[in-house]
Amino acid sequence: MEIAVLVSLTISVFFTALGSLSLTSKRTIIFLALQAASIGFVELMYCLINLIIGLHMEALIDFLATFIEWFTCAVVIPLIIYWGIRRTEDIFEQPIVDGKKAIVLSIALAILCLIIGELSSSAIPESLETLPFVAFMFASSCILMIYRKDPPKILAGLNMAENAFYPLLAESPLNLIPFMLALMVFVNIVGVFITIEAYREYGTTLISKWRWIEQ
Amino acid sequence: MTVYSLLPLLALVTPFFTGALCLFTYPFDFLESFFRKIEKIVLLLGTGLTLLIILLMVPYILTDQILETPAFSLRADSLNMVGAIGTALIFFLASIYNVRAERGGRLKPSLYNFFILLFLICMLGLLFSYDLFGIFLFVELTIGVSIVLVIHAPGKLSPEAAFKYLIITAISALFVLLAVLMVFVITRNSNILAILDNSAPLLENPRLIMLIVICFVIGLGADIGLVPFHGWVPDVLPASTPIINVFFTAEPIALVLTLYKLIYPFYTTYPSQTLIWILLGIGFISVVFGALLAYPQRDFYRMFAYCSIEEFGHMILPLALFTPLGLTAGQFYIVNVSLMKAGLVACLGSVFINAGTRNMDSLGGLVGKMRTTALSYIICALSIAGVPPLSGFYAKLLIYTAIYEFMLQKNGIFTSVLTVMFLACMSIVSLVYLIRSFHAIFLGEPVGTFKDLREVPFLMYLPTIIISGLALLLGIQPDILLSIAG
Repeated sequence: MEIAVLVSLTISVFFTALGSLSLTSKRTIIFLALQAASIGFVELMYCLINLIIGLHMEALIDFLATFIEWFTCAVVIPLIIYWGIRRTEDIFEQPIVDGKKAIVLSIALAILCLIIGELSSSAIPESLETLPFVAFMFASSCILMIYRKDPPKILAGLNMAENAFYPLLAESPLNLIPFMLALMVFVNIVGVFITIEAYREYGTTLISKWRWIEQ
Repeated sequence: MTVYSLLPLLALVTPFFTGALCLFTYPFDFLESFFRKIEKIVLLLGTGLTLLIILLMVPYILTDQILETPAFSLRADSLNMVGAIGTALIFFLASIYNVRAERGGRLKPSLYNFFILLFLICMLGLLFSYDLFGIFLFVELTIGVSIVLVIHAPGKLSPEAAFKYLIITAISALFVLLAVLMVFVITRNSNILAILDNSAPLLENPRLIMLIVICFVIGLGADIGLVPFHGWVPDVLPASTPIINVFFTAEPIALVLTLYKLIYPFYTTYPSQTLIWILLGIGFISVVFGALLAYPQRDFYRMFAYCSIEEFGHMILPLALFTPLGLTAGQFYIVNVSLMKAGLVACLGSVFINAGTRNMDSLGGLVGKMRTTALSYIICALSIAGVPPLSGFYAKLLIYTAIYEFMLQKNGIFTSVLTVMFLACMSIVSLVYLIRSFHAIFLGEPVGTFKDLREVPFLMYLPTIIISGLALLLGIQPDILLSIAG
């Protein structure tokens, strides 16, 4: 694996871990944006270099597709979830680990993932060498979704989990990207719509209180 | 013989254009008011035309031809044709029911129609598509659309149920994506048939094949509602509107057959017994869990939800055998049980719309007021339980034969007899709770508050009569479906 890719993946793991340990929904969204930005940054730079060197139509299309994908994941989707928070409430939730401990833990997890990634590289096919990083980010995001109780954080976790597949997704056919992005945006809009409707019905976005209010 | 045909594409394009027409009226107020007058006719037209196009494909399939639109990796063959007919038929019957049953909700009529027709496109897309990425896109779209349809229901129940549904199924879709990406990265191909033709890269990593298959099982298992990924099912059914529940009965047809379509190439490449036992295990657990939890429910939609989980288990069992008889039995069972469930849930919806309650303890004596609904309910219930001469009997007989033959070959006579006896016992449990629900809702003394109730309008009980008729017809003449299933 190239060093730039390795660094970018390690940084993404760090932001994923931080996102899953953050206190407020707004902070989770910031980490979601940073995770998405860092995970797609190297690919975007490669496409930009190819465009500058090659200056041909294929490189331009490739760059545009990558840029749109990167922009949607790092800007559009966090903004959609942020809009949902503006229409409802930002819940302060104490995670299992907080403050400086969370940062230290995130760094430790990123380094651990880096070591595991290097050690397991001989056991898996070369084409799937990013799989340990993908699995780690996916698992962290799932943990975020399981133990948090407000929909914006859960939605952010869902997007972090989807972003985790970016290293594999980068190799998918180009004509698939518009459909994938449209669906990602659609699912997020649906998620935010449900959050707003739930807030209107129950007066809170805390999921644990929803059922009691129903009864 | 493979024939180039645009019919599979046309089956997707027709509801798409009808849906787009509905969506076009959304931003314009003057069109919106006009559209409200024709909204239900448009939906009926969209689903009716789609059913007609699918029926046009049947003669080709009966003469062993495969209709293919290669540019979009769409294919109509004996594997998906029965499923496509069942899906389109349920949507058409549900659209008839919709004419009088739909009372409005969070979505405007134009958006409601658009999402219903998009849901139909997703189901048919899942059935006809042979491209892994195409299947993933349809899975993700199905999730988004079905969540929108759940949230359409007014009231306090739907937001919580919709959010739970969103999270469970969205995570499951990521498992499908992971599996699809792993296959693509290894084989550099996304067409299932092409992968089947050149499976050498996959064979280099048998453990990876198992990982891919497990990802598909988790991904689609959660969308179907198999145990242990069933968490959303008992919440979503009571939270949705009665009419949406009828549309939802078509969902397992596409999802279960898609799961088979995705797993089968990997089983052919690497015939692992572990895979069979994993699938059989999930199937058996779903059957037991669903049947035992359906029994004590007092809310009839929750009872129906657990009944559905039991049926999902039954659907998986014959397909997990990967035998020709298992495939035929599975197809017949999936379509038959989905149709019967559509009839059952339409009857329950009529009761709910009339009486305003789902609690079976506060219902009773409705048989005198709702004769046709009661008759349709008992026919569909008996068919699901597998009572002869209804279609469910033949479906269950086929499943038991397929499982018996498989077990006899692998584990001997004792295990095979025991397995079939166990499944028969589970069918008795389902018969008991379905009869009990009929007794609680329709028999006994009429409850005071429901004394002035009347039978629902003709268009609401017409679909249930058609389904009851089909239960009798397919029970006497199962060859009608079996000849298409091959």
